[in-house]
Amino acid sequence: MNALTVRDLTKTYPGFKLDGVSFTVGQGRIVGLIGANGAGKSTTLKGILRLISATGEVSVYGKDMRAEEFAAKQLIGYAGGGFRFYPMKRLDAIRKAYAAFFPAWDQEKYERYLARFDLSEEKRGKELSDGMKVKFAVALAVSHGAKLLIMDEPTSGLDPLSREEFCDHILGLVRNEGISVLFSTHITSDLMRIADDVVYLSRGKVLADCPLEQLLSRYRVVRFGARGQAEAARAIGIKAVKNGYEGLLERGNAVPDGASAEDATLDSVMIHLEIAGREGEKCGN
Amino acid sequence: MRQLIKKEIALCVHPTGYIFLSFALLTFVPNYPYEMIFFFSCLSVFFCCLTARENGDVAFTCALPVKKRLVPIARILTMSGFQCVLLVLTGAVGAIKGAAVPAEMYLNYAGLSANIALLGNAAIVLGTFNLVFFAGYYKNPEKVGIPFVAGGALVVLLIGIFIVLRWTVPFFMQTLNGLNSENAPFKALWLLIGLTVYAVLTAAACKISANRFEKTDI
Repeated sequence: MNALTVRDLTKTYPGFKLDGVSFTVGQGRIVGLIGANGAGKSTTLKGILRLISATGEVSVYGKDMRAEEFAAKQLIGYAGGGFRFYPMKRLDAIRKAYAAFFPAWDQEKYERYLARFDLSEEKRGKELSDGMKVKFAVALAVSHGAKLLIMDEPTSGLDPLSREEFCDHILGLVRNEGISVLFSTHITSDLMRIADDVVYLSRGKVLADCPLEQLLSRYRVVRFGARGQAEAARAIGIKAVKNGYEGLLERGNAVPDGASAEDATLDSVMIHLEIAGREGEKCGN
Repeated sequence: MRQLIKKEIALCVHPTGYIFLSFALLTFVPNYPYEMIFFFSCLSVFFCCLTARENGDVAFTCALPVKKRLVPIARILTMSGFQCVLLVLTGAVGAIKGAAVPAEMYLNYAGLSANIALLGNAAIVLGTFNLVFFAGYYKNPEKVGIPFVAGGALVVLLIGIFIVLRWTVPFFMQTLNGLNSENAPFKALWLLIGLTVYAVLTAAACKISANRFEKTDI
């Protein structure tokens, strides 16, 4: 059974449409939801949590979010981008209010996390750094027995050291407690560190939904001397670079004479697929 | 629902929610439109919702394991609890005043005396505010001001109407005015009517707010 199944999630705003987003998060997997700003990452997470009135089906460990909202949400730990809530309240007041909603709340576990994160409950939300806010959100999220952790750009605004620490904690959670993770980000280095799978959104549509390695191994970045050469090779997402043109070629395609190829990075895949605006790139489909 | 109401009290209720309860003591002020006490109660509801917005309360609450439609109902019931406490306090302080001061001093020349019929007026005022404010607020919880202006204006208008009635209609001028012991059945009946109106309007506010909030994007 998948930790999370999203089917045909659709939401229309003026000027933007989240268009039939479907993907799954397997048990014990870390899935990165990636895409450019405005691609629909936060909208997707809000749709999953029913913060917005989107259509489509969402289930958590087989529990339908619409029909069994209470039971499904018990399995989810949600951490938004940091912890922006109640800045004037002490953390213990927030924790008390929060914990009351979860019968499986584990106070000892929570206190262990506070100690590990060097957090004091006597502090107020406004007194926490961005990194501390993320840690507090994670401590809350994992202390109620959540099996699926959903995070919206948790590392955004953190310094490299804090990001590294955060990634270590997430890896620890997955390895030691079997938690599944879905997190949105546009910081690809974090994904490269910890993600098993990626769901790549572009303009409200899923462009790729596959293991990270599979996405990377599918393409090469090829530099061409002229645009015509790149077009003739049917390169994806052609763009001008310092000494010519650059695009993605699928591994099976031959690299033309005079062009140079190198392994694709997640950044380069995102950039060229974004440029191409290409649909039907779902690997595995 | 119990947990949601506890959360409201712990994290969302603005200090004015408690402070304005003490305004029941304003019934000791001679010749004052005592219905205004309840306007302050409406103001504290506005402050609570404003503070909740600034604290990101809606997003926090909706991510909890609760049904989305229960979120506005918990807020309304919490605020309704404060309103009911204020009604009781005002009634109690008014009764104390009735026992403590001479009858001629108890008579109010600005509106109704601080008797149980006043509570009927107050209940109608609060119920009307609940319906207009919460139904508007939960259409878009990001916009607190417009629903409050609409609800507050209606409250002031209603208070004005009650004052006019006090001076023009004998039923309000004589029967409902004065000590609780005078024309007690009529005063009790007016209180009952007020409480019924309050219950119906607040229940309607809950239903409309829940339906609207369920369609709201956060």
